[in-house]
Amino acid sequence: MADGTQHAQAWDSASLQALFDPATGWLDRRVLTDEGIYQLELERIFARGWNFMCHESQLKAPGEYLVSYIGEDQVIVVRDEDGQVNAMLNTCRHRGNALCRAEQGRAKSFVCSYHGWNYALDGRLIGVPGQNTFYHGDLDRSQLGLARVRLESYLGFYFATPADDAPSLHDFLGETGRAGIGMICAHGEVEVVEGVQKNVIDCNWKIAVDNIFDWYHVPYSHASANTAGFFEIAKIQQPKNQLVVLGEYGHAIGGPGIPQDAQAEIDRMSDDERAAASRAAPQFSPKIRPREATELMGRAGVRSEGHPNIFPNLWITISGSQICLRLPRGPSHTELWWFTLAPKAAPPEAKREIVRRINHVFGPAGLLEQDDGENWSQSTRAARGVVGRQLGLNLQMGLGRDKMVTNDGGEHYIEGLISEHGQRWLYRAWTEWMAARDWADLKANHSLPPTGIV
Amino acid sequence: MDTLEHESAVIATGASWADTPLPQRAMLQYEVEQFLYAEAALLDARRYRNWLGLVADDIEYWMPLRRTVTNSDLDREFTKLGEIALFDDDHMYLEMRVKKLEAGSAWSEDPPSRSRHFVSNVRILDVAGDEITLEACFHLYRSRLESDVDNWIGRRVDVLRRTGESFRIAKRHLFLDHTVIQSTNMSTIF
Repeated sequence: MADGTQHAQAWDSASLQALFDPATGWLDRRVLTDEGIYQLELERIFARGWNFMCHESQLKAPGEYLVSYIGEDQVIVVRDEDGQVNAMLNTCRHRGNALCRAEQGRAKSFVCSYHGWNYALDGRLIGVPGQNTFYHGDLDRSQLGLARVRLESYLGFYFATPADDAPSLHDFLGETGRAGIGMICAHGEVEVVEGVQKNVIDCNWKIAVDNIFDWYHVPYSHASANTAGFFEIAKIQQPKNQLVVLGEYGHAIGGPGIPQDAQAEIDRMSDDERAAASRAAPQFSPKIRPREATELMGRAGVRSEGHPNIFPNLWITISGSQICLRLPRGPSHTELWWFTLAPKAAPPEAKREIVRRINHVFGPAGLLEQDDGENWSQSTRAARGVVGRQLGLNLQMGLGRDKMVTNDGGEHYIEGLISEHGQRWLYRAWTEWMAARDWADLKANHSLPPTGIV
Repeated sequence: MDTLEHESAVIATGASWADTPLPQRAMLQYEVEQFLYAEAALLDARRYRNWLGLVADDIEYWMPLRRTVTNSDLDREFTKLGEIALFDDDHMYLEMRVKKLEAGSAWSEDPPSRSRHFVSNVRILDVAGDEITLEACFHLYRSRLESDVDNWIGRRVDVLRRTGESFRIAKRHLFLDHTVIQSTNMSTIF
């Protein structure tokens, strides 16, 4: 995207790189509060990367649309009369007004409420009031369609980018990103349950993202959900069986992993045996994935019972049954969007149980998530203090203590105790995205997952 | 009540209730309002365990999502039962919320929020056997820490079941007037 703003001048590549030191795990607190950094993030991360829009099941019929975001740019995603899904900026080419004010709906075309310019579902400008009279026929409608952005899908999940020079979605996701989406589809076809929970937390978006890999906070932050009998932390956290998978461009998976010997046993089971074992397992245990899940997730990825993050801001959780977007709303605010995925084939009663359970985990009233927001907002708030922010943020857990493994499938992973490897990888990638001028620069100057002791 | 529940019942229905003599209706109105105010006072006083005592074992406590939609899509404004909701609780889940608040480690409520539950525009819509269906407006004000303020406003449909001198809440459906929730959390009981 175009640079040359005051922010790019204030933050040159070297000063951006210096905000996080992967060798020590110290992160500069200004990444949570600085307006210039935030404006650069909108350009160099959100307007450069692939942003999750929606799942195909949310746009079933022609004319169905929803509004999503690339950073702070609103994007209309709509299925047109030919069944094609299009993505374009939600801003009229005349005076910039929003075409869609609803967050979702059904439309035959998009008519601007300001002067009545009318756009087809593929973005073509098909009607301008007074075009022959007031405009004297001078207006070239063919040049004034809605601004289309690239839209590609993987396993039914649509992502958009305005960056013409971005790699394909498939290549951007890489093994690790594809494993993350594979986790959602590992048990078969899914569809979005009606309703996306949305709420605003007074925190920087990155602290909500790095928390995805933070399995250290679970027993403390969420102690009350444990006491209330909602879940058993001891059964979920698996502090000694952690699996962290790192991918290019900042994608990662962190959290509990099935140990290799346990997975070897699973590998010997047929799909029927796996299903039977899942039914016999204690309530809320992750279901054992069928054989073909390895194709989708890789041999290391398939062992994850943790949290993938598609860089920058798409979290896949609860073994793929929910995904959460962390949308930036200025340096100090983040909008969380929770999408719920249920197996297409599940009978209604089973689906009802899944939904009822899920309705209690995350979202603003979720028994787990209630206790996250204030930690993040108070951490963000503290970074506004000029004295305190010189202290930095510490992400040193496990540094220099673990060994990176690369398997013949090209997966890069670390096994061991709870650590902050995932968070360090996130911020390392973040500095690289921020320091790179364009995709060519980023492609040439981004880290590959490290080898050896990390 | 055959009207769509998420649409305000503009005219109270239930022919038998509408035909009930005014003094009886006024008495019941008074009883119901006093119960709702007492209930609100318990929540404001953070006496959650006592509040749970007012909840029927078979309660359906539900707050759907609301979406910003155009007039032509109003049938999709609220999610439906069985879809995604902010609250989708039975007695067990409400008890969990109370246990969580009592746990001593519910950090989102420690220091505790200061809340005020306002209930107004109470209209009894129907009386059938021992069950009273009413509609009310609510305004839940919450202030937290130094400067966090939340205002949750909406309409609700309650079913109260008569138990001797008092009532139990058998149903509470809460229809917020917000779409994107402007709050860090909803760690309160409505």
